[in-house]
Amino acid sequence: MRSGFRLAALAPRWRKVVRDLSLARARTFMVVLSIAVGVFAIGTVAGTRQRIARALDDSFRAIQPSNATLTTFTTFDDDLVSTVERMPEVAEAEGRRSLFVRVRAAGGEWRNMQLNVLPKDGLTRLDRVLPHEGQWPPPRRAMVVERSALGLVGAGIGEDVTVRTPLGKERTLRVVGTAFDVYALIFTIDGTPWGYIDEDTLAWLGEGRGVNELHLRAAERADDAGHIADVVAAVRDKLERDGRAIYYMTIPEPGKHPLDSTIQAMLLLLGAMGALALGLSGFLVANTAAAIMAQETRAIGIMKAIGAGQGQIGGLYAGLVLAYGALSLGVALPAGLAGTVWLSRLMARYLNLDLHGGVISLPVLALQAAVALLVPVIAAAVPIWLGTRITVREALNSYGLGRGQFGRRRMDRLLERLSGLSRPLLLGLRNTFRRPGRLMLTVITLTIAGAMFVGVLHVRASLGRTMDTLMQLYQYDVAIQLARPYRLERLLGVAQGVPGIREAEGWGFTSARHLGAERPQGPSMLSLSVPLIVFAPPAQSTMLRVPILRGRWLLPGDERAAVVSTAVLDDQPGLDVGGTIRLKLEGRDTSWTVVGVTQGLGPTPLIYVNYLPFSKVVEAAGQAQWLSVTLIEPSEAARQTAAKALESAFERAGLRISLVIKIDEERREALAAFDGIIALLLAMVGLMAIVGGLGLAGTTSLNVIERTREIGVMRAIGAGDGTLYQIILVETLTVALLSWLLGTALSLPLGWALGRAIGQSLLGNPLSFGLSLGGAAVWLGLEVVLVLLCSWLPARRAVRISVREALAYD
Amino acid sequence: MTSADPHPPLILLSGVVKRFATAAGEFEALRGVDLTVDHGEFVAVVGKSGSGKSTLLNMIAGIDRPSEGSIAVHGSSLGQLSEAQLARWRGLSLGIVFQFFQLMPTLTALENVQLPMDFAGRGAGPEAAGRARELLRRVGLADQADKLPAALSGGEQQRVAIARALANDPPLVVADEPTGNLDSATADQIFRLFEQLVAVGKTIVFVTHDRDLAQRASRVLEIADGRIVGDHLVGLSAASETS
Repeated sequence: MRSGFRLAALAPRWRKVVRDLSLARARTFMVVLSIAVGVFAIGTVAGTRQRIARALDDSFRAIQPSNATLTTFTTFDDDLVSTVERMPEVAEAEGRRSLFVRVRAAGGEWRNMQLNVLPKDGLTRLDRVLPHEGQWPPPRRAMVVERSALGLVGAGIGEDVTVRTPLGKERTLRVVGTAFDVYALIFTIDGTPWGYIDEDTLAWLGEGRGVNELHLRAAERADDAGHIADVVAAVRDKLERDGRAIYYMTIPEPGKHPLDSTIQAMLLLLGAMGALALGLSGFLVANTAAAIMAQETRAIGIMKAIGAGQGQIGGLYAGLVLAYGALSLGVALPAGLAGTVWLSRLMARYLNLDLHGGVISLPVLALQAAVALLVPVIAAAVPIWLGTRITVREALNSYGLGRGQFGRRRMDRLLERLSGLSRPLLLGLRNTFRRPGRLMLTVITLTIAGAMFVGVLHVRASLGRTMDTLMQLYQYDVAIQLARPYRLERLLGVAQGVPGIREAEGWGFTSARHLGAERPQGPSMLSLSVPLIVFAPPAQSTMLRVPILRGRWLLPGDERAAVVSTAVLDDQPGLDVGGTIRLKLEGRDTSWTVVGVTQGLGPTPLIYVNYLPFSKVVEAAGQAQWLSVTLIEPSEAARQTAAKALESAFERAGLRISLVIKIDEERREALAAFDGIIALLLAMVGLMAIVGGLGLAGTTSLNVIERTREIGVMRAIGAGDGTLYQIILVETLTVALLSWLLGTALSLPLGWALGRAIGQSLLGNPLSFGLSLGGAAVWLGLEVVLVLLCSWLPARRAVRISVREALAYD
Repeated sequence: MTSADPHPPLILLSGVVKRFATAAGEFEALRGVDLTVDHGEFVAVVGKSGSGKSTLLNMIAGIDRPSEGSIAVHGSSLGQLSEAQLARWRGLSLGIVFQFFQLMPTLTALENVQLPMDFAGRGAGPEAAGRARELLRRVGLADQADKLPAALSGGEQQRVAIARALANDPPLVVADEPTGNLDSATADQIFRLFEQLVAVGKTIVFVTHDRDLAQRASRVLEIADGRIVGDHLVGLSAASETS
């Protein structure tokens, strides 16, 4: 024996463990792989969680986060900033300027962009923008783009882009570098890139000086959300007293990354993925241990006969399982590190984070070691205890043809009554139910794997369905948000002059402050407080189909009536249909009766009111700031053409545009927000497929190995290869179909619950349940292919061995 | 019979009944067996298939428990021992030889012989290895010590099994059809080994179908329908009958 000299120091029973590991290679491979999958998943998940949390912490700390940012409609000067900074509640206040422009790369299309103005030295005190690549700070007549948004702009470093300001001025700027801005990602996800210019470039673009953003840090209790809200309210009142209407307020949850809840949802999914993989791995080990104990029955009998106690034999098999765990650790540790690198990079790219430090983490390695060594032993404890409890007589009387129990249970009697089937088919079916404990473990493992696989695909379908439902809200093809209200007739006149337009509607549009909000708390997805967006379409508009959750849609005669999105209700607990909502609309305090509640698209709180009462309140009768159009022949290409044509027509007419929205782009961008989650879900699906596949492969192989003696008997009485294949195939197919049926059934509540949790976390509402029949079909196909593969290989080996070998098999 | 001897018998069975519950109803494998075996006896148990001879051997080896009656072997009342105590008792007091050898396929001949010593806590050190080698030498397999069972012939495997049975130097060796799976020449070798063991004071009780082989024992027990129907001392013309 080659390993003899190394084994010499071990007691014979431990030498048996080592030889069992090395001689039964196929079995060792299957068991080690089963454990390794779970340990790998745990390592990947824990490692990624740790890396992402560290990166999040680092990146957030580096930017000196503010406690709040207030954005006004009009610009103000530094004196006001100084006044705010002198307030006792405020430790630091910094004025900044941002503006929406249209941008176009060479050969590209116009798209919306936010330009942020930085001081000459590029240094900001709060919510710092950090240099990333290329030139820094942005020089005159050039632009630096936020690194996550470079793809959206469509130009690389060193390339030129054309910028069109709200005043209609067009200038060419060179992209000279990239920067890192924690807050930009939210807008990148939404399809709006962020760029940075200096004050001279701003002037060169024809925009006046002055700031419109106030970033501030509270003097004390910076981690107390309630106190921050009070400070922000005091600053807001001061700005409003100075005649500055607040357009936008950003109040991150203290100390938290703006995408914290998205990240938490992802980490939750990761955790669930790890726990499930571990649970499944545990089931696999228990299953495999049960099969091993069945295979070892005779050996157990002999060892007991020559003086071994149950404890000694139990210890021996626990040692074997421990050795499997240790071997799996050898596979899972490097694989887990590779998985951590891959997954943390994927998440970091999605979350616009920089990863620092090494991948190796001692606590994660220790966790993996503990899981690899403990979970298998715990999972195998019951099978080992049951297996070693057998008496010597029972063990020695076991000839590998079963323990003669078939026929006693109700299921067996039911199977006995089956008639009209061929003998091999019947034998295969009856074999399936011969070991109910084993069958149950296999079916549970595969059912959970299948339920997760199909359930995750249900969640994916639910996301798509929710998006479809939400996007149905908008029945227009293209919408234009104008820089300021214009006369409605003029807008409609220009729009209707554009070829391909079927209908156009002018809407009132503004942002408002929710006066009844208890505190400006962040909506679930962004941990930010964004303003209420008020849409005022004409009564009986054909371009909106708002899905009503409660109450009703606006009627033509409604005066001070509003339909609000669920996000609005979050800000004012207790508010519902019949209640009153108080809004500050362009500086005016107004009250509206809530007549309906709708599901909003994303976290932005939306309010719909009738155009006429709205235009009276904002004193803009006959004017509109939003134009929605439908096309005669709607298609993606037609929307592109129409958007371009409308933009040119408005430009020619001297109408200043803020944003152009194409409905397909909007849907794509809304869905893009879920890209990271979908990628994670798909990774989860892959993992489940691997774990489930391994489970099926392992059980099938072990079942066939265990039947070797029985195969010998059948061979001896004349069974041909085909018959043996058929028996084995029927058995494994029955297991696969049974677990597929159960898994598909279980995927429904699982997918629903997961969709509920993800929807709640990302949208503030459960996802509309979408069924993925394709997912169920794919899992069935996968199971059948696996069954064919996993039963064919051991079956081929079984039919190749001679009758004598099979009958002598131990 | 040797019950009058001043030394207690090695094996003492009193009124042993063994019933098995089967799907077809209760089956009585042993029906009130009384038996005494002294130190140094070489006992053959013969009978037809299903007569109860293996059940009797299982009772003596503590592999199975009687439904009624009592069994004492090597000074231990087996009915009072737990399963764990029985296993330990077997390891020290008894060696078992099976028809199909039942060696651990992943252990070498030497390691198979060492295994009972390991379970009995008699170490895995050089002394244990030395004793195992000595036992293999005694069964004529010194040069096969490091081979796995699959590399040995049937007769060699059975000789390893005998060496294993002697690992902890038990006073008693029981063997269930020890030559049932061997050709006659190899069977002869095994029996010569048994005779040598008896010569050095071991007690051997073996079950066989083969009446010729049984005649090589010093005493033959004949069992039928769960009862001992014959108890002969080989070489003596007068047979003592028991029921």
